[in-house]
Amino acid sequence: MKKHQIRTTVNGEEYRLLVDQKKTLLDLLRDDLGLTGTKKGCDEGECGACSVILDGKVVNSCLVLAVEADKAEILTIEGIHREGDLHPIQKAFVDSGAIQCGFCTPGMIVTTKAMLDEIPDPSEEDIKHYLEGNLCRCTGYSKIIDAVNAATKHFK
Amino acid sequence: MEEYSVVGKRIPNRDSVEKVRGSAIFTDDIKLKGMLHGKILRSPLPHAKISNIDVSKAHKLKGVKAIVTAKDTLQKKFSISPAWADKLVLENQKVRYIGDEIAAVAAVDEDTAQEALDLIQVDFEELQGVFDPVEAMKPGAPIIHDSVENNISKEIHLECGDIEAGFASADLILEETFSTQAQAHCSLETHCCAAVCEPNGQIKIWVSTQAPHALRQRLSDILGVDASKIHVITPFVGGGFGSKIDLDPAQAISVLLAKKSGKPVQISNTRKEQFVATRIRHPTVSELKFGVKRDGTIMAKQARVIMDNGAYNSHGPAVLAYHNAMFSTLYRMQNIKYEGYLVYTNKNWGGACRGYGDPQTSFAQEVMMDMLAEELNMDPIELRLKNANNPNEITANRVRITSCGLKECLTQAKEASKWSKKRKTKSKYRGLGVASMIYTGGGSIGSGYNFSGATMQMNADGSLHLLMGALDIGQGSNTVLTQMAAEIMGVDPETIRLTTADTDTTFPCMGTFGSRVTFCAGNAVTQAANGLKQQVWANAAEMLEANSEDLEAKDRKIFVKGSPSKAVSYAEVGAASFYKKKEPLVAHGYYNGPEVSEDFDPISYRGYPSPALVFATHIAEVEVDPGTGRVDVIDFVAAHDVGKAINPLLVEGQIEGGVAQGIGWALTEGLKFKDGGIMNPNFHDYKILTIKDITKINPILIETIDPNGPFGAKGIGECAMVPTAPAIINAIYDAVGVRIKDLPATPEKVFKGICI
Repeated sequence: MKKHQIRTTVNGEEYRLLVDQKKTLLDLLRDDLGLTGTKKGCDEGECGACSVILDGKVVNSCLVLAVEADKAEILTIEGIHREGDLHPIQKAFVDSGAIQCGFCTPGMIVTTKAMLDEIPDPSEEDIKHYLEGNLCRCTGYSKIIDAVNAATKHFK
Repeated sequence: MEEYSVVGKRIPNRDSVEKVRGSAIFTDDIKLKGMLHGKILRSPLPHAKISNIDVSKAHKLKGVKAIVTAKDTLQKKFSISPAWADKLVLENQKVRYIGDEIAAVAAVDEDTAQEALDLIQVDFEELQGVFDPVEAMKPGAPIIHDSVENNISKEIHLECGDIEAGFASADLILEETFSTQAQAHCSLETHCCAAVCEPNGQIKIWVSTQAPHALRQRLSDILGVDASKIHVITPFVGGGFGSKIDLDPAQAISVLLAKKSGKPVQISNTRKEQFVATRIRHPTVSELKFGVKRDGTIMAKQARVIMDNGAYNSHGPAVLAYHNAMFSTLYRMQNIKYEGYLVYTNKNWGGACRGYGDPQTSFAQEVMMDMLAEELNMDPIELRLKNANNPNEITANRVRITSCGLKECLTQAKEASKWSKKRKTKSKYRGLGVASMIYTGGGSIGSGYNFSGATMQMNADGSLHLLMGALDIGQGSNTVLTQMAAEIMGVDPETIRLTTADTDTTFPCMGTFGSRVTFCAGNAVTQAANGLKQQVWANAAEMLEANSEDLEAKDRKIFVKGSPSKAVSYAEVGAASFYKKKEPLVAHGYYNGPEVSEDFDPISYRGYPSPALVFATHIAEVEVDPGTGRVDVIDFVAAHDVGKAINPLLVEGQIEGGVAQGIGWALTEGLKFKDGGIMNPNFHDYKILTIKDITKINPILIETIDPNGPFGAKGIGECAMVPTAPAIINAIYDAVGVRIKDLPATPEKVFKGICI
């Protein structure tokens, strides 16, 4: 298997890595960097549990090759908190009861972060458009919408 | 109503901080040194004899560390009950569905494991398959299990009262046929396990399961290893919905591979495997006949049901019996007849799936109720109120009801949905529909077991530790059960240390299913906490030279009522007990109920022994696009009798999630089969609801305070989706006059109905 040298920044830390050409960014994060907060729900770009922010845009990390992360800046769920305290989005998810099994939660929070970075005052339509690719089987989404609205208020 | 300081409060899930930080560890996150990837070779054929399995080429592949086939097993069949055992961990004679386990490989990485599977040569003699249960029952159909005639795994015949006399006394008789489709559970976390076998024979397995203690016993049986040598650990579980109750062959296979290779082995299902090789909701065909008086009194009802079992039993016989129990228990009447057949086919096997047969029975019965109401020119809610169950009654099928809030569910849902106004003045293509349900709110002792255990201890520094077998798979039991313990001990629930669902350290619990954890584990936890409180109070009474009945506690200090200045702290009591009296402060709680009455029939579930029953009414408002047949749910009210909401925030979450699954089952979800194979094994082609598809759900909590529930509480988890589909189907009829009798109500079916 051909390997490539990449240099990438994940949650503010720079890494130089030798990666297989067919390895996904998701597997790189989980298996090589031990960042298991990013979840593998389908490995085919359908569920959003593996969402990370790559150069400011939210992506399904299972659909990105690790070599594509060369010279990129990546933010994962482990990098969302603020100096140890919960980020307001994380706090809103906790307080709103938006979490049940928690498997979709990292992807939901990462996508919400990318949305609020781009649109600080999203409409309900914006929220549904952004989070449409993040599946949740437990909550019925009601309290996730509550959480995003609560987080938005904090950003205003 | 009694005022509580912790119980009844909207406290966020106590595990949620780890979950939002991404630090919560799920089974697939466990990476052990030297761990191998396990992969399973599955049957590509729906029905075939295996004439030979040759693994020699795969063995030679570099990186392959172990291969197992049936030869490495005891070749003992399993099911959830020994009486229904029909499945081998690895098949070596015959395969019965596309996905059946044949062999497995452990290799240094996933690609190598996959390559090795491709090198295993299996010779098959293909047999004719049968995919429709009605065809499978006919004489001459291919036989799937040698000993099972006509492929009928189980049949049920129940008759209560005099069915013929009941129909004879009716003014109106209606007969209809309803069918329901296969649903996939779709937990976001797939099935996963990681096993280690020590050279001394000790087995440790991390596993995404809903029932760790039951799994230890099943692994013990299937592997022929004493249960004392098996340690089952459940990290966080990413949802289950019934799919993670059974023994999954992969769990036993991971142990076999770990034993053979001498290394830890992890097996993690791909999403496709999750769709094609884990359990599904049983499809059903139900022929119903109801007889009613002009005033709406139901005089008789009968059902003939064919349930598609798929290739193996799993929970099937119990699901069919439960289908009957819920059909026969809902509404007051004397004359009931039920005939049910569980039939093998060469397809994915059904299992427990949120609602356990009740959504299927509820769909048929509640659409039938809507049709009866129309024939009688009666409001559908009035028809249900007329026949609703009452508290403290014994039904015709000998089920004992304690608390019952069905009438309150109907009336409060009616009011909240503005039913009367909207049904009269509705706009075009909009409609409202109603459906009710009954479910167990505390599991059942029908299998002989309904146990849950807990231990609570005070440490020498006065801190508290709760250990319980109950497992939180996201529904919130860790939060709810510590709230109960905290209420009794007078502390903040966050200060209680919690250990759960570990077979080495906690008392057994049957598992997380049957809406049983709040009720059963709650009774165990309250018993343990009350026992500990008694010990602590007795010690404090000695220290204060007072009577224990005169004491009260606040802020971890115990004092004689009215004299808070003279107090002993929990820390002082703890230290005095451990170091001076030399007595540990520890108490146990154990629940295993209710008592089984002589009325109980384990075949049909007549006299179904549930400690508490729950009731609900859902009202859906839909809008139908006449140009496409697309149905949008625009408003939804879900009123549930929960006994007592220990934590309303989490109860609402259960209802909202259940309704979303119910909407999916009603409108968008369904496994599509062709020649036994699943044609839509991914989230692109199998549509669960997205955030765009959901409307605001209005949960209403009815508190009936059950006499046997902890703080009066009953369960909520499974029942939340039971009446959703019929409420939607009835709303579609109200909107456009199209009566859907076979789920799901796809745009095509609705559009065709509009065009006729």
